Amino acid sequence: MPTLGTNFRIAFRSLIQHRRRALFLGGAIGSVTALLVLLNGLSTGVHETMEHTATTLSSGHVNVGGFFKVSAGQSAPVVTDYAKVLELVKRSVPELAFTVQRGRGWAKLVSDSGSMQAGIGGIDIKDEPAFKKVLHIVSGNIDDLAQPGTILLFEDQLKKLDVKIGDAITVSAQTTRGVANTIDCRVVAIARDVGLMSKWNVYVPMVTLRALYQLSPGTTGAIHLHLRPSEQAKAPQIAGRLRATLEQAGYRMMDPDPRAFWMKFETVNREQWTGQKLDVTTWEDELSFLTWTLQLLQVLKTLLLLILVAIVITGIMNTMWIAIRERTREIGTLRAIGMQRKGVLWMFLLESLLLGAGSAVGGAIAGASIAAGLNRLQIAVPLSMQFFLMSDHLNLSVHLGEVVMAVVLLTILTGLAALYPSLRAARLRPVEAMSHFG
Amino acid sequence: MTHFRSRSKPLPLPVLLAITVAMLAPLAGFLAPPAHAAGKTKAELVELLKAVDVRQNSQGDWHSHIYMEQKEKDKVDVVYEGEVYRRSQDQKFVIVFTKPKASQGQGYLRIDQNLWFYDPAVGKWERRTERERIGGTNSRRSDFDESRLAEEYDPDDDGEQKLGAYTAQALTLKGKPGIDLAFPVVKLWVDRDTKNVLKRQEFALSGRLLRTSYYPRWKKAYSESKKGDTWFPEEIRFFDEVEKANSTLILIKEVDFKPLPQNLFTKAWLESKSR
Repeated sequence: MPTLGTNFRIAFRSLIQHRRRALFLGGAIGSVTALLVLLNGLSTGVHETMEHTATTLSSGHVNVGGFFKVSAGQSAPVVTDYAKVLELVKRSVPELAFTVQRGRGWAKLVSDSGSMQAGIGGIDIKDEPAFKKVLHIVSGNIDDLAQPGTILLFEDQLKKLDVKIGDAITVSAQTTRGVANTIDCRVVAIARDVGLMSKWNVYVPMVTLRALYQLSPGTTGAIHLHLRPSEQAKAPQIAGRLRATLEQAGYRMMDPDPRAFWMKFETVNREQWTGQKLDVTTWEDELSFLTWTLQLLQVLKTLLLLILVAIVITGIMNTMWIAIRERTREIGTLRAIGMQRKGVLWMFLLESLLLGAGSAVGGAIAGASIAAGLNRLQIAVPLSMQFFLMSDHLNLSVHLGEVVMAVVLLTILTGLAALYPSLRAARLRPVEAMSHFG
Repeated sequence: MTHFRSRSKPLPLPVLLAITVAMLAPLAGFLAPPAHAAGKTKAELVELLKAVDVRQNSQGDWHSHIYMEQKEKDKVDVVYEGEVYRRSQDQKFVIVFTKPKASQGQGYLRIDQNLWFYDPAVGKWERRTERERIGGTNSRRSDFDESRLAEEYDPDDDGEQKLGAYTAQALTLKGKPGIDLAFPVVKLWVDRDTKNVLKRQEFALSGRLLRTSYYPRWKKAYSESKKGDTWFPEEIRFFDEVEKANSTLILIKEVDFKPLPQNLFTKAWLESKSR
């Protein structure tokens, strides 16, 4: 009975002996592994970029927002007396790293030469250092956003408004009570586009937003909860728990609805209630209009991999059949000198697993290296892709866990592909095998 | 000189005061508002507003055909045609578009103080704010509704002013406390002779002028329910004062005051118009 070590040696020598076939098959397995690593890196990179950008620009990992309705048909995205809500949030979310509060609104921006509708974000720039890091300011000074009556625009918006630093823009909106109001803002910063969000988002100081909508100092748009890195994946559970806590504390809550706040106006306005209702969402809810791209990417990745894996499995099985046919007399000899059927099965399986593992490791290393190289090159992505990636360059994020998973998956698949041919080899009768010519 | 000096004795105080008043009188007259402006008391201005409202209100049912044309910078002109129905007693209101084809059957319904929008393409009702821009134009529901100026605003006198060939009473209207209005301040020019509105300017809370409207043509029709004439503007021109290039033209035609069916101010009726 050969030992495991002997089996390994036999398998390894057999691979060396049939190196052309091994190289061809190993190359295919390695390529699929590299592709899997790259595709995983791409979808993880897009997800991480989206999360990072979104959780800085327009959302926390978890948000407490809501609507206040003066009448059934008139809603405003505000949280009244937010300090009390914030206190409760801080008490009931131990996973919290920090919070920020942001104003929310929708208004018309009018310059001397153009106009556009835009989502208005109210921000206290002094309290949000991360915001400055995410945005790349191409003109002006973002710190000037601390002054009342100022505005930050994105490059894409200049096409419609045709303004430069120092120019004035009129922001026109209705207050929470439906009264027409305007405010004049001076452009103090222009930021590089960050995908789809920069199409319709602008930022003004919180005090300016309050003046526009006639909000009291105790009112805000939403409280953004930023979780500690280790807890960020638990955002949906934390949101659920927080919703229950707020409800127990006597707040009227909106039904869970995984959509961005601005997509809920129609539903909210159709409902009869008046007064304040709070809404708890995650960053993925607030970006639901974009996360479909991630799902699409995931589906495409899975489809592509299924096709490639099917090709590889067919290739492995075919190659194994050829190998068994070529080595039938060898199998017969081994069986004649005492090797059991299990031993033959194990020998062939081990050979495949060895080939699969070696190639997958090589492919994974190649994939990770290519990803690192692409990241280093800072490859610019087309404008159409920037809408969804929320970044102007390609970012592939390769994690060790995913690489190991890819190697294990491909190795197991190779083993499974070799299982049936190996079983057939093990079933050969020694006499017939030894007398085989071909 | 001597003769002159002999006359320069100090004059008695009452005489001095009389001379001073006499000298300053023309100057005071020059600086003060025109006499006619100071002539209108608050009560008179309120009465004027009431008269403006009464002249326009039919006190019953109303039906008219409307034509709306919206001009916006860098955009294709949008033209709508439709029917307006309204009922005074419960402030119900319907606008249904008949043209263009893409908007055929779309409409607004105001019932129970709520404004609803119906789009037959999606078969859905959406609640809209009272300040909704009708069909995306610069017109609001209130532009087609009965005039309620005296109910909603407190007037201040701006005197009489010439507006082309017309002499108009100018007023600044400020929203009454506790009433939510789209425009907290409105300036109004009312024809002194006919009491028809000639011009209207609406201001934002910030004081910025948002919209100027002109009412160049007025017409009257007999209302059976009112037992008298009801005046309506045949033509209204809105000019956006924030986006200067945008304007809206409204033509109101074929006005009649016949009683409307009971089921007209319902969602079912508006839905049936697109079937």
